[in-house]
Order: sequence, then C-alpha cells, then structure tokens
Amino acid sequence: MKISIFRLVLLCLTSLIPVALLAILIFLTHYSWSAILFNGVHFLLGKTWSLGNLYANPVMVHGLSVPVGANYGILVFIMGTLVSSLIALLLAVPVSLGVAIFLAEGVPPGSRPVLSLIVELLAGVPSVVYGLWGFAVLIPFVAHHLAPDLAHLLGFIPFFAGPVGSGYGLLSSSLVLALMVVPVITATVSEALQGISREAKEAAYALGAMRFEVVWKAMLPMIRTSLIGAIILGLGRALGETMAVLMLSGGALNYLPNNIYSPISTMASFIASQLDSALGDPTGMAVRSLAEIALVLFLIAVIVNVIARLLTGGFGRAVHN
Amino acid sequence: MKKYLSKLGSKPIACLCAAAVTLLGVAGPMMGAQAADKVNLLETGSTLLYPLFNLWVPDYTRAHPDVRITTQGTGSGTGIAQAIAGIAQIGASDAYMSDGQMKQSPDILNIPLAISAQTVNYNIPGLNKTHLKLDGPVLAGIYSGHIQYWNDAAIRKLNPGIKLPHQMIIPIHRTDGSGDTFIFSQYLAFSTPSWNNSVGYGTSISWPAVRGGIGAIGNPGMVQASQQNPYSIAYIGVSFHAEIAKAGLGTARLENRAGRFLLPNPRTVGAAAAELVAKTPADERISLIFAPGEESYPIINYEYAIVNQRQANTRVATAVREFLLWAVDHRYGNAPKYLNQVNFIPLPARISELSIKQIKSIH
Repeated sequence: MKISIFRLVLLCLTSLIPVALLAILIFLTHYSWSAILFNGVHFLLGKTWSLGNLYANPVMVHGLSVPVGANYGILVFIMGTLVSSLIALLLAVPVSLGVAIFLAEGVPPGSRPVLSLIVELLAGVPSVVYGLWGFAVLIPFVAHHLAPDLAHLLGFIPFFAGPVGSGYGLLSSSLVLALMVVPVITATVSEALQGISREAKEAAYALGAMRFEVVWKAMLPMIRTSLIGAIILGLGRALGETMAVLMLSGGALNYLPNNIYSPISTMASFIASQLDSALGDPTGMAVRSLAEIALVLFLIAVIVNVIARLLTGGFGRAVHN
Repeated sequence: MKKYLSKLGSKPIACLCAAAVTLLGVAGPMMGAQAADKVNLLETGSTLLYPLFNLWVPDYTRAHPDVRITTQGTGSGTGIAQAIAGIAQIGASDAYMSDGQMKQSPDILNIPLAISAQTVNYNIPGLNKTHLKLDGPVLAGIYSGHIQYWNDAAIRKLNPGIKLPHQMIIPIHRTDGSGDTFIFSQYLAFSTPSWNNSVGYGTSISWPAVRGGIGAIGNPGMVQASQQNPYSIAYIGVSFHAEIAKAGLGTARLENRAGRFLLPNPRTVGAAAAELVAKTPADERISLIFAPGEESYPIINYEYAIVNQRQANTRVATAVREFLLWAVDHRYGNAPKYLNQVNFIPLPARISELSIKQIKSIH
C-alpha cells in the first residue's frame, strides 16, 4: 500500500513536466490565435515588421481589429536566430570536443574535478554577463580588428566580404553564443567520455591503435548519442538566448543579413525588445503577434529535438527499453 | 554545533534548504513589518523618468515616513499597461496614451510632471565641436537610406562653408521601445510628409532597411554606439547631456517650424513649451514636437505620470495624490535642485494648474 502511494506521487510529479509543456503550447496557440488568423503564412515569409500607427483609430481587416499599417513578418528574425545559432555551433563544437577530450584523457585524474568545475562554472554564468562583456570588449575588437582581418583574408567568399560594419551583428552575436554553448557541450561530452569502460579502451589499444586513434575511432563513435544530444542541448541554449544577443545583434529590422558582419535580430531578443511598445497597441494584435513568434520559436525547438532523437535513434531505444 | 555543521556539510541539499529557509526567515519579517502600517506605492515605466523618481522618492519618503514608494525603470509601454492593470499606482511614460487606449481605459489620467528634450548627436572626427545644421527632411533621408554620405548635397546645402567628409553615415536607432524614438519619429513625421506616410511615429517603428545602420539598447547604448562608430548619428535624451559631452559627440542645431536652427537650452525649450501652453487640452494629451515660434526648439515633450483616477482605496488614493502634488510643485518636486540634475524643464504655470486639477480628481 505504501509503495502504491509512493508510485502515485511519483506519477503525479512526473506528469507535471509533459502537462506544463502541453499547457505552454495550448496557451501560446490560444493567445496568438487571432494573430495566426490575421497573419497567415505571410508571418513566416514576410520581411517587414511594423506595429502600424498606434495613434490612429484601428481598422477592421477580415473581421479583426488591427492598427493602420500593421504588418507582421518575421523571416528576418527566423533567419537571424538560425544563422547565428548555426555559426555558434560551428565554432563551439570543435572547441568543446577538444576541451572534453583533454578533460577525459589528457589530464591526470587528480586535477580533473577542478578543471571540470571551471567548465561547469562557465555554464552557470548569467547570460547578461556575457552580453555586457561582448558589448564592452568584443564589439570594439570585432569592429577594429577581427572583422577587417576576416574580410581581408576571406573576402573572396561573398559571405565574408565587406563592408565590415560596426561590430554589432551576426559575427559578435555568434561569438558570444559560441562562448555560452562551449561549456554546455563540453560538460556533457567529457562526462560521456569518462563513462567509457577501461576494457573498451584497452581493447582498442590492444589492436595497436595510437592514442589519437583510440579517441577518434573508438571512443567518439561510442558516445555518438551523447555527442549529438550535447550539440542539441547547446543549440537549444543558442536558439533561446535573449539578453546577450539583444545587446550585440544591432537590432536589424526589415532586411536579411548579406554578410557575416551584418546586423541581425533573433526571435527571442526581438520579443524582449518589442514587448514594451507592443503593449501600446489598443487592439492587442501586436502582443498576440509576439506570442506567435514565441510559438514558432517553441516549435523550432521541438523540431530540432525530434530531429536529434531520430538521428540518434533515441525513439527506438526508448521503446526497446 | 560543530557536529550539526559537519552533518549539514555532508548533505549539500539539506544545507541549501537550510540557507533558503534562513533567507526567507530574515527577509519575510523585513517586508512584513513595513507593509503593516505603511502605504505601498509602485512606480514603474519610462527609463528617462526613472532617474528623476529616484531623486524625488528618497526626499519625499523622508518627509512622509508613512509612504513607501518603489521605483522601477521598465519602459513607457509597461508603465502604461501596469497602471491600467492596477499593478502600478503610478506609470511613468514619455508618450501620452492614444485615443484607442483612452477609449478602452477612460479612467486613466495622463499627468505631465516635467518637460524633457532630445538632441541629435553625431560623431564626425574633426567636426564634433561644430554644431552642424540639420532639418527633419535631411534626418528622414538619413534614416530611410536616401542620404548615405555626410557630404550629400542636402547636408552641404544646410551647412555652407563646412568641409564634410565623403563617409557613409551610420544611423543608430533604439532597438527597445522608447519614448525617445516616439518624439524623434514625430519630429520626422511632422516635418516630412513622406516619412509620415511611410513610417510614421511610435515608441517602436518599422525602421527602413539601411545597410550599415545599427540598433542600440537604451540611451547609454546610443551614446556608446555613436562613440564607437565614427560617422554615426544618433538621437539621445537630454538627460544624458553629461554622457554625450564625455563621449565627445557633436550636437546638431535642428530646424524648427519657423525655419530657424537651434540648440536645446532652457530658453529654447521653454519657448517651445510656452507656444503650446494655450493649446494643451484639459486631459493634457498633446505632442509638443515641432512647435511654432521663432525661438522654439523642435523636439521637446511632456513626461507623464499615468494614473488611474480610481485607486484601490482612499488611503492609496490620498498617498498618490499627495506625492504627485508634491512632484509638480515648483517649491518641491519641480524645483531646479531636482530637475537640473536630469536636464528637465519645470512645468509652465498653466500646465501645473492643469496637472494639479487632474491630480486632485484621483480618488
């Protein structure tokens, strides 16, 4: 009897998580429903975002009251989010792998906890601290050194050609995102590497593998699932990062980035920066359209996770267990 | 005791819980004790008004120990929304509420507390000590991308004899919702019909795509971005006068409705306010931008307290009323010792009367 109460409590607690997830989805859909009706597919494909004239009398469009000239297109923010997160991952994954391998294989076991702790501490730094650092240190550095040098070295690739801009934009945002993602990926991967049994490693050595080959050909394939999981975890952090990106992105509006130095806006940071003005819309359509952005961001996060599960065969394994 | 501590040490979770309970135990009574016999007011909204409230509140509450006022800088839109929702007793806003908002919330008052102004600043190495002349159409051209270089014919025409560089202009705008964006875009809209028809005005507007243009957060972000980027231009609240000077930025002389180019100072800001005193309606919702008059600086605005006429109870209503009456009084809140610190201008006498009349209707 005691056991069954215990089980019941656990069941309730566990079901809280999917229920909360579902509740968010239902709330966002319900709240943004009038915006979904008003915006249609244009929402995802439009490059223009305008709250319209909030001081004129609202007009009726398809039976919905909206401000004059309101136009909500978020392609710019979707692109800003995806491109900055992808560049951040491209930068962060090799670094994280290197650090994780070093932590797992390169340091004496005695000092490993100290180094791991430092990596985990990095993961716990609030994002606004990274943002402030990026604002004060990284932006001038990118504007005066990194961007001109990159344009000089890689200028033959259109994406890297100038104009190099002001430091605010895709490059700075991606660099700070990469910095925030590295500890997340490193911590997970190094833990997985340390979990590999000694026998497995020794088997690889017994076959005459060099140390590098043991890591590269035996250990990394063994933790493939954890590795992809770690990358998705990092991607999740990058997609949703708000404050640091807001401070560095340059707040692009109504145009797509044409090179890596161009200002951008991401979905999360745009919601944060626009909410205050959206509250001034007496029809409420602006806030509901922001909620629709949140819904799209939510769906992107879910899709990314599902793809990751499929890649790692996670669904099949869960069933077998 | 030692045993107890070592026991705690072995259980980090228990240790954390104990710390949390201790914190709650200390913080709880601290908050509770003051809530018991004091009236709590929450002020939230405009980050431009926030420094002024922070000068006012300590002095006011020292003289009125029965009132506790919490101040928050959250943005004008939030200030209005939370005053309407009844979360904040005083919402601070750089912009007055629209007709549409008033229709939905007819009990809300828009009460001017002071007058603020805005400067247009630029960072052109070698020219930052020169006050360039700029007008609305030229600024609209820069912010819509039609005017790309500092030596564009339109800018040269306004500034004969000044050698302007052939450099790309970097227009900087506010990314966050802002009363500064509101009054700047109103200046462009009222002076330039094409801007009015395409972009219009608001606390966040749909900035035309200008390659090289950047968005910055808050007035400090605007100062920093223009300091870091030579050949940039920005619009900055006059409260940041000291920061602008420290950053070595140039300040433009702006064309007013009468066609004269002026810098903001108490005389020109006061002149613009005086022009619109007679036109200010009883509910005081009016734009002061692009005022008529020879000596009127074109970008000034009322800073508003957004207050619900009907407060939760008479105690709260009395506290709000008394604080706001103190704030608009020229002997107290509107005295130079407060307003000079943030470069605001006190309310003209007739506007004070209108504000007082509105404040007295709070119940």
